[in-house]
Amino acid sequence: MNSFLRKNFIVIIAFAVMAAFLIAAAQGMEKKDFVITLLRGLAVGSITFLVASGFSLIFGLLDVLNLAHGTLFMIGAYIGWTVVVRPDTFVDLLTPLALIASGFALGDVYPLLASRIRLGSSMRRILPWALILVSLLIFWRILPRYPIAIWDVENYGQSPVTFAFMADSGTRLPVLPAAFTEVTMSSALIGLLLASIVIAFGISLFDTSPRTVKLTWKNFIWFAVALIVAIVGVVFNNAMTDYLFGLNSNWLFFVAVVVATLSGVVLGGLMEATLIRPLYSRPIYQLMLTLGMSAIGIEMVRAIWGRPEFVMSKPEFFNGGGEACPATNFADWWANHCSTILFLDGRVRVYNEIFIPLVGLVVLVSIWILLQRTRLGMIIRAGVQDREMVEALGINIRRVFTMVFALGVGLAALGGVLAAPSSGLSNAMGESLFLNALIALAIGGLTNYPGAALGSVIVGMIQQFIIKYGQIGIPIPFTDIVFKPTPPLVPASTVMLMVIILLILPNGLLGKKE
Amino acid sequence: MEYILDVQNIQTFIGQYHILQGVNVRVPKGSIVALLGRNGAGKTTTLKSIIGLTAPREGKVIFNGQEVNGMRSFDISSMGIGFVPEHRAIFRDLSVEENLKIAERKKGDYLRKKDFIFELFPDLKRLISLPGTSLSGGQQQMLAIARALVPDNQLLLIDEPSEGLAPVIIESMMAAIRELAKESTVVLVEQNFLVASKLAEYYVIIEEGRSVQDGNMKDLVADKAAIHRYLGAA
Amino acid sequence: MKKFFSANRGSLFTLLVLILMPFIVGLFDGASPATVFVNGSGQAKFIEGLAIEIFILAVYAISFDLIFGITGLLSFGHSMFFAVGAYLTGIAIKSFGYSLLPTLGLIFVGAVVQALLFALVLPRVKGITFALVTLGLGSVFHILVMSSEMGKYTGSDVGLQGVIVPDFISPANERLRFYFVMLVVMILVYLIYQRFVNSPTGRVCVAIRENEGRARMLGYNTFYFKLAALTLSSLTAALAGFFHTLYQPIVSPNVAGMGFTVTALLIILIGGVGTLNGAFVGAVMYRLLDYGLRRYIGESASFINGAIYVLFVLFIPYGIVGTWRLRSFEIKQGWERLLKLFGQ
Repeated sequence: MNSFLRKNFIVIIAFAVMAAFLIAAAQGMEKKDFVITLLRGLAVGSITFLVASGFSLIFGLLDVLNLAHGTLFMIGAYIGWTVVVRPDTFVDLLTPLALIASGFALGDVYPLLASRIRLGSSMRRILPWALILVSLLIFWRILPRYPIAIWDVENYGQSPVTFAFMADSGTRLPVLPAAFTEVTMSSALIGLLLASIVIAFGISLFDTSPRTVKLTWKNFIWFAVALIVAIVGVVFNNAMTDYLFGLNSNWLFFVAVVVATLSGVVLGGLMEATLIRPLYSRPIYQLMLTLGMSAIGIEMVRAIWGRPEFVMSKPEFFNGGGEACPATNFADWWANHCSTILFLDGRVRVYNEIFIPLVGLVVLVSIWILLQRTRLGMIIRAGVQDREMVEALGINIRRVFTMVFALGVGLAALGGVLAAPSSGLSNAMGESLFLNALIALAIGGLTNYPGAALGSVIVGMIQQFIIKYGQIGIPIPFTDIVFKPTPPLVPASTVMLMVIILLILPNGLLGKKE
Repeated sequence: MEYILDVQNIQTFIGQYHILQGVNVRVPKGSIVALLGRNGAGKTTTLKSIIGLTAPREGKVIFNGQEVNGMRSFDISSMGIGFVPEHRAIFRDLSVEENLKIAERKKGDYLRKKDFIFELFPDLKRLISLPGTSLSGGQQQMLAIARALVPDNQLLLIDEPSEGLAPVIIESMMAAIRELAKESTVVLVEQNFLVASKLAEYYVIIEEGRSVQDGNMKDLVADKAAIHRYLGAA
Repeated sequence: MKKFFSANRGSLFTLLVLILMPFIVGLFDGASPATVFVNGSGQAKFIEGLAIEIFILAVYAISFDLIFGITGLLSFGHSMFFAVGAYLTGIAIKSFGYSLLPTLGLIFVGAVVQALLFALVLPRVKGITFALVTLGLGSVFHILVMSSEMGKYTGSDVGLQGVIVPDFISPANERLRFYFVMLVVMILVYLIYQRFVNSPTGRVCVAIRENEGRARMLGYNTFYFKLAALTLSSLTAALAGFFHTLYQPIVSPNVAGMGFTVTALLIILIGGVGTLNGAFVGAVMYRLLDYGLRRYIGESASFINGAIYVLFVLFIPYGIVGTWRLRSFEIKQGWERLLKLFGQ
């Protein structure tokens, strides 16, 4: 016990100082303000945590500082918003995406195919490029003509009030079903499938290292899944669109969350496998690459969704109103699905301040279980320490890398889509949140999972308390001046806290010494 | 004679440095082979080149009649090679049990081999739930070897098993290695010539990245001149 | 003397081209050298303006190369070095009516002070943590500049404008003179840096990049060498900021943001990290590319910029100058050691 105290002396002092600040902060405001600010801090902390935890998992295992994480958070939000606002586009995109992916699902088949083909060395060098070129040509022919419901995003960039009104009254902007006019359906589908197989074959030819592959039905299962998704997407296009439009906003929101998270997972997996993987021997370039990716990501969002800011409506479940609202007891809330409840005299918004922290908690616990109780978690924990040894045990750590990167990005995308109804969508939402997450991690310890949670909560709390004090002001003792922190002080204060903590504890509060 | 492992003239680079400049190792099935040589001669790199952690640029590594050089190390390892690295590289953040479980290649390997392992290293059974950090040097070494026993390996590559251990513990370690050599083939890197000469049947001497001499361990023990020349005063 | 000429043929030729460039461009435009000299308008003036921007960027980028490429410190707060120079200049001239020389003295002091501020952090944190702390310091400065409290001086998010530049160097009327002043400044900076890198101090900086532990074991107190590099870098960046304020009608708060640090990184990545003259090559490439893309493609220019950046990272990691020089084996070795430093 004594040695524990001595070893963690500075950490304990840091906690004591922060607790003292919290108590001091509580003295200066009324109870209801305090409760609400605390909950808001928790909400901001939870969103920050979703981004920070993925980031820290990736950094811990792969040693990659993914500076594009904030951008991926934003992309998650935009994808979720698109599904909620226009499910038809999402349904239209399903088929081409599944077809493009199908070729890559056959990954294990290509080495066998390649070993059957006998070619001269010069042909062998040209062949992959030729295949890639051919398939790119096909993509270039078909993709621009493939019918996808396009709509003017500007229509949705209206004030929250207008949009909420339109959504509430059930009117959406007119939907024109897209149909195959410029290419025939069969040629488009077969063309995409062929192009995908050809490009995947071409890319697989670059890898000439010997491999032993035994073909079983397992090698084809993903291919079959992709094909089925594509066919279902095209045959039941209208039915699915109608079904999604007919869904109530709870289920639609759920679909959006799932789609956004999955898109994040796929994006992350792709990013690791194609861009990050060649650079493991040059870490500093990985850093620069992710930096570039973050800029590209923002530009892509601007190109697709434009610059206007959007609002995503909350699901009905958290958005009710009525006589009994704000609810004072659980029964009232359940009956009316009130958007706010009265808790210790404060009006608490259910979605922002209760639902989001709950999701944060669920994620915290499930990732913890994943890390501590599953084989994957075991491999991750072992890989953080010694990747080479894990590989020497016969474990394909590359695949684990891809999975962890995908998981991390998926968490960021989940954070994005959850944050969208409470904070709205803008091109800048990623950057500010990413700065928060970075600060949270630096405070908690870069690779420490509980540290990510602790740091996120601290950052959220401090920001919310400063915002609150910006409204009520801090009377400075022995004078009658009331100091009101201004908005710029919010990020500045957390940044300063990070700098101070890093100077005292270079590994953060919970990080281990190197 | 049937060779389970045949390393033919491998050349390995680490960065700019040409570490292995032609190493030949032949390992008869069911034997214990010791790689001998001075510090920095390239013994550890030879083991790592076999398992693919430092892939050889030229030459061949043939395991069970199949060429494995150029394959990814997890593929090589999955064919039935266990690797026990130097400095007892166990996973500190994992418990003893997890350290064993992570080495499973098929589900249930650990349960199947548990009794055999704990018979060989009774100490580990006691420590099963402790984290790797709290083990002593000897216990860590035992765990590292035990980890290589969990899957069905036909060949074990063991790097410096006696390094930094007390003489008593070295004795029990040697007994354990002899025991497990009954089931599989062992390639051993050993600085301590006494330990190596007691364990191994065959030897290969590596000098400045080249294998310079090999043969029967009995002959080497008698050949004082060679011992002096290649291994210093032993 | 002859030896000097033959050894520096390339540099001297570049210098000659740069001196003659405004007049040659003028000729294409139908303006005689004399007209250009008395500051005619037209194409020559425009090209001069572009060149001045490039020179400023080059001076800024070379200062980042010194601490990142030569000394191996990854700072994400480098734009602060530039912005402090730019804002101090603007505020001193506009709000306090300083003339140019006292302003220069002021930014000299400011640059040294901020180098010391960064140096406070130096002994405590390394590698990624240093990057994070400098990112923090930089963003605090950015926030400060953007805040409405400072608006009276900095113009908050609109930017600092209305700085009255003395007539004899006014970028509007005496642009050719400004061009030559900036050219001389850039060459001086380059020569000083060349001298610094080849001096014993500079060599220790390179040693720190390659293996700090070893440099320390050899008996060097690496802190002082890093401090020297930081101070020189800060001074240079602030000088670039000084000219930026003189040249640009508005100092946008973006120059204090993270994006501007990325610009420096991009420039030396294009040119070649750790090569010094790569900063110049990179600045030319970067500015012309940016200008061309914005002119012909418009909005999506920064998308293409980002893509080029990623392609450079993936396929031309040593940059233009670096790849050029890579024929010599030693540089590659040094490089790999730098990379190892970050991969531990």
